[in-house]
Amino acid sequence: MSLLEIKHVSKIYGELKALDDVSLTVEKGEWIAIMGPSGSGKSTMMNIIGCMDKPTSGQVLLDGMDISRESGKKLTEIRRDKIGLIFQQFHMVSYLTAVENVMVSQYYHSMPDESEALEALDRVGLKQRARHLPSQLSGGEQQRVCVARALINHPELILADEPTGNLDEANENIVLDLFRQLHREGTTLIVVTHDPEVGEAAQRMIVLEHGRVAKEVVNESFQA
Amino acid sequence: MSKRRMFLKMITASLLRRKSRMLTALLSVAVGATILAGLVTVYVDVPRQMAASFRSYGANMLLMPGENTVLNQQSVDAALSLISEEKLQGASPYRYVYTEFMGNQTGEGKYSSQLRFMTAGTSFENVQKTSPYFAVEGRYPEAQREALVGKNAASTIGAKLGGSVRIAYDRTELVEIEETQTELQGSAPGYYDAEVSVTVILNSDGTIKTVAMDLSRQTPFRVAGMTTSSFTDTYGIAHAESFTDQFTGKQLPLTLSTSENDPDEYIDAVSGATASSKAVVDAVNAALPVGTQTDTQQITNTERAAMSFTVSGILETGGEEEDYIYISLRDMEAITNEKDRFDVVELSVAGSSEELNALANEISENTGLECRLVKRVTKSEASVLGKLQALVFLVTLVVLVLTMISVSTTMTAVVSERRKEIGLRKALGASDNSIRAEFLGEGLFLGLLGGAIGALLGYVFALVVSRQVFGSDLQFNFALVPATIIVSMLVSALSCLIPVKRAVAIDPALVLKGE
Ligand SMILES: Nc1ncnc2c1ncn2[C@@H]1O[C@H](COP(=O)(O)OP(=O)(O)OP(=O)(O)O)[C@@H](O)[C@H]1O
Ligand SMILES: [Mg+2]
Repeated sequence: MSLLEIKHVSKIYGELKALDDVSLTVEKGEWIAIMGPSGSGKSTMMNIIGCMDKPTSGQVLLDGMDISRESGKKLTEIRRDKIGLIFQQFHMVSYLTAVENVMVSQYYHSMPDESEALEALDRVGLKQRARHLPSQLSGGEQQRVCVARALINHPELILADEPTGNLDEANENIVLDLFRQLHREGTTLIVVTHDPEVGEAAQRMIVLEHGRVAKEVVNESFQA
Repeated sequence: MSKRRMFLKMITASLLRRKSRMLTALLSVAVGATILAGLVTVYVDVPRQMAASFRSYGANMLLMPGENTVLNQQSVDAALSLISEEKLQGASPYRYVYTEFMGNQTGEGKYSSQLRFMTAGTSFENVQKTSPYFAVEGRYPEAQREALVGKNAASTIGAKLGGSVRIAYDRTELVEIEETQTELQGSAPGYYDAEVSVTVILNSDGTIKTVAMDLSRQTPFRVAGMTTSSFTDTYGIAHAESFTDQFTGKQLPLTLSTSENDPDEYIDAVSGATASSKAVVDAVNAALPVGTQTDTQQITNTERAAMSFTVSGILETGGEEEDYIYISLRDMEAITNEKDRFDVVELSVAGSSEELNALANEISENTGLECRLVKRVTKSEASVLGKLQALVFLVTLVVLVLTMISVSTTMTAVVSERRKEIGLRKALGASDNSIRAEFLGEGLFLGLLGGAIGALLGYVFALVVSRQVFGSDLQFNFALVPATIIVSMLVSALSCLIPVKRAVAIDPALVLKGE
């Protein structure tokens, strides 16, 4: 069974079709990049996959569950249990330290565990900065905290919306390396990006245009 | 780390690390709690305060002499023994007498002015308790021969602080005089030889006190041109009385006046009844003692006593006291030469009007003194008290609502400021209930802190109010600390309901939108 099956999904805002009859299947452990021009519906798709929005029509099956039909409460549960989110804006709770931000994710998922959170930070190379507030961290460091936070509950699927959009080359590479590690561990990754370099790091590249899948490119030279 | 610890960590960090926000919210809670605690403290304390204030507007109970009981130390002590010690705030005896102010002496027994004033003797130490509103310029008398002069009295007589006033009192004394009187009886022939008899009472000094005549045997007087009645008939009585009145005070023997040139001490005859008149005088002159009788007589002896006093203070009360001169009881006793006598004792007693009524009755019955409540004050005391409490209660309610609005506004601002964070939390898997719990938790924490601060500041606030308005201190009410904190927490939690609703409605998807 595929981890994610998107079947004829449309999302319509009034006149505008943000997603127009999109179908896509993602297998467990796959690394997918979603690309396309601004306004093509990438974030809309991520919201639907991430259980934060529902399609106007069509069906979305996540791990066999039809998330296009579930209630809000159930969606929150599914998101909490199965999905790790990484955003372009590297959102952090401004008044909590790096380790506390990671623990927030644990708190909503199950149990806060500081040593585990510190391990996750160690993994993104930020053990030394665990006690710093977001304002004391650089953008790249913040994004790495967000990666640590996304992986702390061992989600089956990590959704990243422009994770390197605001990062410099060096930090971008650190984040990509982390993705590679996660991929090797078997985590399914769906990464929205404008950056061809990030797109090419994935196994498969889906290109959206005007809410439709315009192109699908398999990365032949992909190395795990 | 447990979930609860993480929860506490998050809400405390939210408040403590975002200082400016927290201070704004905390301020509204703390200000509300301060006013609340302050007003409640005042509210609780108002009855005590008001009672104290009203007591300061004069005594609320009066002791006066009863029909058969004099007001002196003994009867006053008997009355006071019926009042429990903690209820009795003060008792001031007063003795009022009329005195005369003597101006500068201008000659033997002559003064530049002589004005009548009421002078009161009292115990100044007690007056300060029963009449604390007395405003004294200078000081209360302490030494002998010092006086507190009412403002009006002072301006009338021109008394100055440190100057002296001389007042005079007429000591009146009732003297009983026993007199042995001698009764004489005599008779003499009158008109047509008909006998006239008299009874004469002589004072011990030999002067005539009264003369009674028996003229029954006299036929009517004959008068030229007219027929008058006898001494005893309707017209004659006037004659008879004015005739016998002439005898009083005269010495024996008497002489009947015969011409206008006769001395005053002669007895004038009743015109047209000369023969009878002469017979009466003869009978008096001839009267012989028949016995004695004793008679007691009361005579008022007046003796003037004058004393000079140093004006130690000028009294201002806004009342009739300003017309009086106050001196010590000892000086009063000296000037009147009367000891242990009061006209009224003013009492200041704590208690409800029912209690005071019962007490007054008890005192009246048991001591024979007249004990009265000063009703006007006790009644208005109760009504003003009720109104004031209602007012404080209303203001408290308004403050509570205002605090709620203020906290609610602040929390709403906090929620919109933290929309992204809330969206993020939701994206991370926070349920609606977690969001509610976190915001209510923050609200309760704010209420706890603000309430604690407010409870302390509120006491200070109440103390200031108490000092300014009632001029007295206040006791710290420990029960009010947890009460204020609980109310603050409740108010904060209630105020958070609407902001929390908004927080719950926030869409987690907004975090993915690159805002
Ligand atoms: N809540 C909404 N209401 C109305 N229109 C919306 C809403 N959300 C998205 N859209 C529209 O849907 C279209 C797709 O938006 P979406 O955010 O998915 O684009 P995107 O591919 O993520 O673009 P970008 O690369 O700029 O992030 C856009 O035209 C956008 O204006
Ligand atoms: Mg987007």
